[in-house]
This record gives sequence, C-alpha cells and structure tokens, in this order.
Amino acid sequence: MITILLKGAAALGFISLSAMFLIWLERKVSAWIQNRMGPMMTGFQGTLQPVADTIKLLLKEDIVPTGVDFFSWWLAPFFVTVPVVMAFLVIPFSRNIFVLDLNVGVLYICSITSVCVLGIFMAGWGSNNKYSLLGGMRSAAQIISYEVPLLLSVLLVVMQSGSMSMQGIIQAQAHGWFILKPHLALAFLIYFISATAEVNRVPFDIPEAESELVAGYHTEYSGMKFAMFFVAEYTNMFIISAIATTLFFGGWQGPFLPGVVWFLLKSYGLVFFLMWMRWTLPRVRMDQMMSFAWKVLTPIALLNLLVSGWFMVK
Amino acid sequence: MLLTNIKNIFIGAYSICQGFRVTFKNMFKKQVTLNYPVVKKSMTDRFRGMVDLYPEKCVICYQCNKICPTAALELEHKVLEDNKTKKIVKFVFNGELCCFCGLCQEVCPTNAIFLNKMYEVSYFAHKDLLEINLMVHDKYKHVDGGIEPPLYHKEGDGGVEGGVK
Repeated sequence: MITILLKGAAALGFISLSAMFLIWLERKVSAWIQNRMGPMMTGFQGTLQPVADTIKLLLKEDIVPTGVDFFSWWLAPFFVTVPVVMAFLVIPFSRNIFVLDLNVGVLYICSITSVCVLGIFMAGWGSNNKYSLLGGMRSAAQIISYEVPLLLSVLLVVMQSGSMSMQGIIQAQAHGWFILKPHLALAFLIYFISATAEVNRVPFDIPEAESELVAGYHTEYSGMKFAMFFVAEYTNMFIISAIATTLFFGGWQGPFLPGVVWFLLKSYGLVFFLMWMRWTLPRVRMDQMMSFAWKVLTPIALLNLLVSGWFMVK
Repeated sequence: MLLTNIKNIFIGAYSICQGFRVTFKNMFKKQVTLNYPVVKKSMTDRFRGMVDLYPEKCVICYQCNKICPTAALELEHKVLEDNKTKKIVKFVFNGELCCFCGLCQEVCPTNAIFLNKMYEVSYFAHKDLLEINLMVHDKYKHVDGGIEPPLYHKEGDGGVEGGVK
C-alpha cells in the first residue's frame, strides 16, 4: 500500500516536472526555429520560466464567468487531468521502474486516455461560450475519429508481440525494434499521426485554433484550472511519445546506458519531433482532417492489419 | 487517374519533408533578435532620441528656447557680480512636449544641445518626464541607451558653470 502511494507521488512529481520542462522546451524550440532567443531572463536560458508561470497561475484569481454551467465547468479540468495521471500506472520507465505491469496495459492506457475527451467536451459545453462549444465539439469529433486508426495500429503491435502488457511488448522487441519491420513501420506512421490528432497538436489543433477560436475549450478558464488543462496537454504529449517508445522503439532497451535514460531519451526525442512538427506544418481544415481519418488512415490501417495478419497465420 | 493520385501523394510527402528540413536548418542559424534588456542595439548616427546637453559648452544664447516649436525647453540664467559671466540657473526639458524635430540641435552655435541616441523614453512617474534637468549628467540614468554622458559638470553658487567667461 505504502509503496503504491509512494509510486503515485513519484508519478505526480514526474508529471509536473516533465510538463514544466516540456513547456520550456516548446518555447525554446519555437524560438530556435523562428531565429529568436525565447525566454532568457529567469534562470539560465530561462529555465525557471515555467516555475515563474506556475507561481503566477497559482496566485491568480479563480474567476467564474457569468452564465457557466457551474458543475460541468468546474469538473472539466479534473476530467482532463486525472486520466493523464492514471495513464502513468502502466508506463514502463525501465525493467524495474514502473507502478504496475497490468496484463492488459495497452488496452488500459488506450481506454483511460480516451476519457480526456469527456472533460474537453464538458469544458466546451459548460463554458457557455460559442468558441468553447465549437472547440469542444471539434475536439470530440476529432478524438473519436482518430481513435479508430490509432487502436487499429496498436492492435497490430499486440498481434505481433502476442501480449498486451507493456513489459511483455518490450520483451518481444529484444531482438529488434518493431519500427524496423515494414508493416509495423507503417503502423507507427498511422499511430503517430493519429496520436498527434488525439492530443490536439498542430497540424490537427483545430479544437484550439488560435486564429478562429480564441483558445477553444479552455477560453473561459484562468488560474489553476487553466494550468490543469495545460499540464494535461503537455503530459499527454509525453504519454503518446512514451507509448510509441514502448510499442515501436523497444522501450527501455538499449546499449550502455541504463534503461530509464534510454526510455526518457526516446520519449523526449519523439516529443521534440512533435514540437518540430508544430512549428513546421500549417493547420489542416476540419473537413480535410475528418476525411483524412476516415478515408485514408482507417482503410490503410485495416488493410495493413489484414495483410500482415494473413502473413502471420500463413 | 490513379497514377496522378500516387504522384500527388509523393509530391505531398516530399514537400512535408522539405518543410521539416527548412525548420531544422533554421534551428541552428544565428538568432536575429537580441537579448534585449541585457544587450541593446546601438542606434544610427542620425537617430533622434532624447534632448541632451553639454552644460559647459552652452553660451546661453536662448536660440534653442526660441526655436522650439512646442516650447519644451525652459532656460533661465543670472549674471554674476562682475557683469560678465553668465550662469545657468535652470535648464529644464519637458519630455512630454518634445516632438524630436531636432531644431534645437541645428540652431545651437556651439553644439551644446543635441539629441542623443537613447530610445527608452518611458518613465516610472509622469512628473519625472515633465521636468528633466538637463544640467545633471545622469539625467537618463533610469535606462542605458548606450549614450555618452556629458563630460563633467560643475556646481557653483545656485547654478552650473558654463558659457561666456
């Protein structure tokens, strides 16, 4: 019991630290790509900027806008943040560092992160604001659509490894990462595109498109509630990269360095790629995005599943 | 039809890769912005900043005072007992009225009054901007615009030395 509590506390600490680091990294990467400097004033190279931001957000007044549906508006940030924390239950940082090794780990993580959409939609609905509502609706449509190709590509990994536990999948990659197999490389591509859409990142950031919806579903939030959305967003980024690392890049396996280092290196590498992508690609249109999910990604994922499955049983 | 589609897919994928290459290259380029409050950009020679003065060069001819279109300069002097030496009692510049036309600089016979290169013209209090004492050398001390302060100033009886001896 105590060990579980300690592990939970460690996970919470890791989440906040990682979110802070990712916010700093995002600002720095955007600055580097745009030939700017980024935050420089607080700490070395602005490393303390997220700390200052957090203190600012903590001290802010908790504004409840007039006309919000208070219950769902108040509950929404928790619905977004709690699944993110719960997802850390099965993420295997190394051979020994993990909270629990569920035998249905992949299923668990895919289902628990889908709860986020509920919170986002509650935030959009409860805010009683047209921008928030549009953002919430778009986000719900997007996340539900992209769940299909995402799960189909994850299913291929499960078929290949014959296990749904995260450690089991990593063990199955002992003799070569899954990304090196062509059908799984295709699955990775589909997974990565869908996961980008899942966490509302550019080029699929239409739920919070700054130029059309002010900030999407979290327009009406301020202070710590906004911070919770922010932490959830950045931690979601880490989670999809961690899952991708586990499923396709051999998890914590790697020469010389300890497992944790390899895992974090791979995960943050993927996160860096997501950031790089954000500052490279323009936003797609809503109809383009939906048709891309249903007309391109899902058929390709199904076909990939069918063909590789046929080769596996043959 | 199918071939065009496939071609389009390849062109799209190639262009996405090209975009990634461009942003990656830019990541290692030299930054075009400065780390502003720490590093400051020096202005060109003809930049017109705040009005500044070398008190020791001033001959108290009142030309700047007269030509100023917005009456931003306020100058007072007194004549010493020997009826020869003039001393400035008050030389105040109103930063709120100044339109940075540079006429005072043009008209000054000894180049005592000039527009320096300081571009940070905001103050913490309104009253500080209204009466900037041009006789002290650290009048623009609240910021550092990379300007050369006047060489020295001497404080005598009620005024600062300068002008005709």
